[in-house]
Amino acid sequence: MKKFLSNHPLLMVVALLVSPQLWANDDAVKRGEYIAKLGDCSACHTAPEGQAYAGGLKFATPFGELYSTNITSHKDKGIGDYSLQDFKDALREGKGKHGRLYPAMPFTSYALVSDQDISDLYAYFMQVPAADVDNKDNDLNFPANFRFGLIFWSWLNHDPQPFKPIANKPEAYNRGAYIVNGLGHCGECHTTRTKTFGIDKDRIFMGQVIDGKYAPNITATELNRQGWTYRSLNDLFREGYSSKGTTFGGMFTLISHSMQHLTESDMKAVASYLLDQAELDVDAKTPQAKVSIDETSPGYELYEAHCAGCHGGQGQGVPNVAPAMVGNATLDQNHPFNTVAVLLKGIEPQRYSYVRAFGEMPGYETRLTDAQLLTLVNFLRESFTEQSEPVTQQQLDDIRDQIPDNAAH
Amino acid sequence: MSTFSFTLNGEQIGPLELDSDTAMIEVLHEYLNMTGTKFGCGIGVCRACTVIVDNDDGTSEVMRSCINNVGAFNGKKVRTVEGHATTKASGEVQLSPVQQAYIEGYAFQCGWCTSGMVNAATVLIEQLRREPIKKNQIESRIEEALEHHICRCTGYKKYYESLKKLIEETEELWT
Repeated sequence: MKKFLSNHPLLMVVALLVSPQLWANDDAVKRGEYIAKLGDCSACHTAPEGQAYAGGLKFATPFGELYSTNITSHKDKGIGDYSLQDFKDALREGKGKHGRLYPAMPFTSYALVSDQDISDLYAYFMQVPAADVDNKDNDLNFPANFRFGLIFWSWLNHDPQPFKPIANKPEAYNRGAYIVNGLGHCGECHTTRTKTFGIDKDRIFMGQVIDGKYAPNITATELNRQGWTYRSLNDLFREGYSSKGTTFGGMFTLISHSMQHLTESDMKAVASYLLDQAELDVDAKTPQAKVSIDETSPGYELYEAHCAGCHGGQGQGVPNVAPAMVGNATLDQNHPFNTVAVLLKGIEPQRYSYVRAFGEMPGYETRLTDAQLLTLVNFLRESFTEQSEPVTQQQLDDIRDQIPDNAAH
Repeated sequence: MSTFSFTLNGEQIGPLELDSDTAMIEVLHEYLNMTGTKFGCGIGVCRACTVIVDNDDGTSEVMRSCINNVGAFNGKKVRTVEGHATTKASGEVQLSPVQQAYIEGYAFQCGWCTSGMVNAATVLIEQLRREPIKKNQIESRIEEALEHHICRCTGYKKYYESLKKLIEETEELWT
């Protein structure tokens, strides 16, 4: 029918004029496409080199291997036979037509998503081209291989409640809270898990180690302590790079798939919520960061030999080569995990945009001894952050144990 | 200013009085007149400036001389592209197997990336000599060793094929 209409432009115009439902559906699909980006659905449901939303991405979990599913409009292999209610049940309650969903699907966060957004998202997915791709079988250990047990998990860890705006906060702030906690599902990575692998509601956004990296503390208290502003958050979320440093690992891909697509008003809303600024200060400048370099220290000798070539003798960074150490939020995290992990394993080259790219950072696991690594880490923290607690050999060992051998960030 | 010493192609260098923020490639070019190692991108991406560092345990590894300052090589044993060929008593120059393979395979044109390509391949050969691999791993190990090296004349295929031929013809490198 579409082909017939497209070959007869006049008929197509008439059809559109007499069919307001078509217009309405187009709008819903467009809104749904944006919501799918906010929810970063493609990150998990698209395998490398695979068809969009055809699933097949492997997740290595403590219980075995789990694969994301085909969520295209294919009637048998995807979700093409889902009703709107089926779709809602999956998103908010983790109930798929084939059984309970594993909580790798962040339904504990998506429970906050509004009826309108779910309806738009449904309209979008129902027109995503059907992928004739079979779902892969999970390879999970007992008892995780029985979906029946997920009822118990949900009973313990999932309380689906609609989003409740905070009464004394402006609309934009609440919009930010809705995006960050719901569609953005930021808490899924940035919050510690309980013993039953639910989100620890007492430690929301306070950071946790995941996949050999530390998803940092992103509470407003911590972000403000580090000197984040609307401008630096906007830069980070648009390009993966800001005056506060760069993203790597999962957050880097999240930005390219999802956050860079935020509308300007949603970006402001997210910043307003994350920084806990009811009235967002869009002109705030990044505060002067600490620089206190002891050029006679053994740490500086190591820094000059191995780091200064790219990061600058005074930690000032070099555009499109390496980020500054001055004001660097990764260095300034209370937990030294990422500083140590990056020093050990390095960072893959990253292209943030057509005009912004950084080369690879080498790993120093085999080039520096543990004593040298500790001297260097502590020099970096002393020189460029307010972190006064020295990193110990025990911490270095613990961090090393939590990084997969083949990790690169 | 600080004092630095290292060996370069077996010869003791230093102690040299240098600013400690001097890149190793600058030391090679400007202080030691060793210009075989090429300066490419200057940000550690193209690998033209790759040199070899020999470790005390008999292993060797590649290091980029543009992003590492001289201090990173202090006390180390460094090899550059000038150190691979030997001269016979007759005065005849004997190229290393890697150099010979690249020449026979017409691997390079302008030569800018060649120092890095020779050093990376040499380290690979030395690794395989210590720990031979299965024959079916040869291609992946070459890709791993050379994949980040940028050749602006796009001679990748000939570098790859030359090195593959050399490894396949050197039977002690694989089982």
